Amino acid sequence: MKLMHKLGASAIILSLMTGSAFAQDLQIDNPEWWQQAGQQFEGVTLQGVTESTPPSNFVADVLAPKFEELTGISVQVETTSWDQMYDKAIKDMEAGTGIYDMIYIEQDIIYAYLARNFLVDITAALNEKGDLKAPTYSEDNFTSFADNFRGEGGNLFGVPMEAFIKIYLYRTDLFEDADIQAAFKEKTGKDLKPATNHEDYAEIAQFFTEYGTENDMDLWGTTAQAHTGHPASWYEYFESVAPTYGVYNWGIDADNNYAATVESGGTMNSDEAKAAMKWWLSMRDIAPPESVQSTWTEVATTFAAGRAAQGLVYGENAAWIASDESKSKVVGNVGVALPPMEEGVMQAAESGEGYIGYYDGGAFGLPVTSKNKDASLLFLQFMALPEVQEEWAVAAPRITLTSTYDAAKVKELDDELGGYYTMLRDDGKLFKGAPPYPFHAQLREATAPIFYSILTGEIGPDEGLDQMAQKTEEELTALGYRQ
Amino acid sequence: MHSNRLGWLLLAPTLVILFFFGVVPFFYVLWLSFHQWNPFAANPDIVFNGADNFRALVFDAGFLASLGVTLAFVFFAVVSELIIGYALAQAFMKDFPGKAIFRTIHTLPLIMAPIIVGSIWKLMTTPSIGIIPSLLDSWFGFDLNIGTSAVAAFTVTVIMDIWHWTPLVTLTLIAALVSLPSDPFEQAQIDGANKRQIFWHITLPMIMPAVLATVFIRLMDALRTVDEVLMLTGGGPGSATRYLGVHIFKEVFPRTNYGYGSAISIIVLYLTIVACWLLYVSLIAPRNKKG
Repeated sequence: MKLMHKLGASAIILSLMTGSAFAQDLQIDNPEWWQQAGQQFEGVTLQGVTESTPPSNFVADVLAPKFEELTGISVQVETTSWDQMYDKAIKDMEAGTGIYDMIYIEQDIIYAYLARNFLVDITAALNEKGDLKAPTYSEDNFTSFADNFRGEGGNLFGVPMEAFIKIYLYRTDLFEDADIQAAFKEKTGKDLKPATNHEDYAEIAQFFTEYGTENDMDLWGTTAQAHTGHPASWYEYFESVAPTYGVYNWGIDADNNYAATVESGGTMNSDEAKAAMKWWLSMRDIAPPESVQSTWTEVATTFAAGRAAQGLVYGENAAWIASDESKSKVVGNVGVALPPMEEGVMQAAESGEGYIGYYDGGAFGLPVTSKNKDASLLFLQFMALPEVQEEWAVAAPRITLTSTYDAAKVKELDDELGGYYTMLRDDGKLFKGAPPYPFHAQLREATAPIFYSILTGEIGPDEGLDQMAQKTEEELTALGYRQ
Repeated sequence: MHSNRLGWLLLAPTLVILFFFGVVPFFYVLWLSFHQWNPFAANPDIVFNGADNFRALVFDAGFLASLGVTLAFVFFAVVSELIIGYALAQAFMKDFPGKAIFRTIHTLPLIMAPIIVGSIWKLMTTPSIGIIPSLLDSWFGFDLNIGTSAVAAFTVTVIMDIWHWTPLVTLTLIAALVSLPSDPFEQAQIDGANKRQIFWHITLPMIMPAVLATVFIRLMDALRTVDEVLMLTGGGPGSATRYLGVHIFKEVFPRTNYGYGSAISIIVLYLTIVACWLLYVSLIAPRNKKG
């Protein structure tokens, strides 16, 4: 028992030491300014709630203690599950209890929060209170991802803290193996290289699934985020697959009275959408068996376990998959590429008319119900200081300031990640966040039962997408968005 | 008079807590069920809509399907728990080596939070990776995939519920069996009754109050199952395990359809009361009349 106590205590001490080691690495410019700014908030404790992710954990374990050390303002950041985080934040803001001074805002819910006037206009607040504006904080420092958190007037309502794209990961050890390359050439007549279109991707996936079977390996040709009862599958189809077939914004035309059906002018049940669904289902069928129970987390785990030769994986997982030997079996064998797409999609993305995949991320916002708005403004700026970004990007693969790309440690990590950061910087503009709808979860949940029925084969993909488009228009009418 | 006042004083904290955490939320949900309220709708206000929510329920295929699978789940889970629980209770009435250890292990699931139970079963049943599919595949060549097979997912949720809650039934029935007097059993044996006759005519009637209390508790619990199933299958595949609790959760929390979700909650409460009442009038009331 004593041994268990010692081990437990050691683990706690180790974790605290790790956090404080990071905190000591952070060198903040003008520490006197922060000390002075914090004096008026003596005794204040800020409460935040966020999803438990590597970037958020860095906020809780490193940035919060460092901020407290500088300003004397205590910061308690509650890191919890995705569902719980939303539940707590929304209930707090809805009831006006003012428990939280900072909340995590995922990119796809900002529009709902703005519609409900839940958030403080950070730009306006800082312009109004010049004495609270930190010397090295500037909105100009942010990457274009910050635009996802701006209101109609261009003012910022959330300070970006994580940003990543959903990328095409592939196993370099398999793709560069001479024997495998020869076998692939013999079978398909093509060179084995990351696919640029769906046909090639499917060919590679089929090849590796057969290769795994023939060689008695736990190896399949692709991942699939295809859970038959969790919204992760819904998101993979609408935000990662459909756009590569030219179906954008979930197939809903917001400028055309939120039309979803082809008859009304939408594209949710268009030929392209149906082709995308059939392709994706065919990939699901040759993916590892656990794919039908996989959300975004399990897809990353599947890839890290070496069970898939290629797949679409959220970039927030890229770092640990590529470099953490305690969790990943494919360290040093990970390559990144742009997702496969249909002809014309890249041109549409480059012209700004379309996009090739999902740009995800989140920000910290300040609820209007907060009882410590001024102190919170200080912490939000602290999170966006250029000085803290390098260590943060190393601890979790996220970049929200343009200057972070040039940091030495980030460049070093970029090599380990197969050029992920370079891709984020150069091609990030080709990806897009969720469409600016204030009814994300409502629409998703209304259509999800039909979507899951497509996955289980109870309804065919064509019929299912027709039903989903119809249901979408009904739901948006009931919610009052479609007239 | 003095003791009456003291009694109310001692009861007061409980009554206050019950009022604020039981009565007030109930009437709030009842009130909401007659309103349309989705804070993320174009009109986020609470609007009175009469009995529209209840009318919509009757034609809601999703709700009716959910009701159907829930009743099937409750039937299979509660009946199985009762049978297995009674068998285990009888086994624990006898002495055998390692009885204390086995009884402790058997009771462990009871102290686990449902969300943990769901997580454990998810780990054990993940297609091709979990220990159960792996063993079934290597021993019998059976492909257990709760992500694609509705029957498999339903069965696993029932087994998970049995695993979690049978100890409660066992403990309750042990308490009932221990308290039984020995005279009727001795007399029955002298009269030449066999084991089956003793069970049907002596044991069962005498432990019936405990059995019914257990059934009531398990019935109410099973009807509102949420966390375990949500964690294990998310209500899938498709809607195969979208039990009423999961259905309400998805309507109320992610979809923020508070008015309609409240109406479903009221109907589920009503169904629970009706089910308990049916059990009461069919099993307990006749016994009371005889008495």
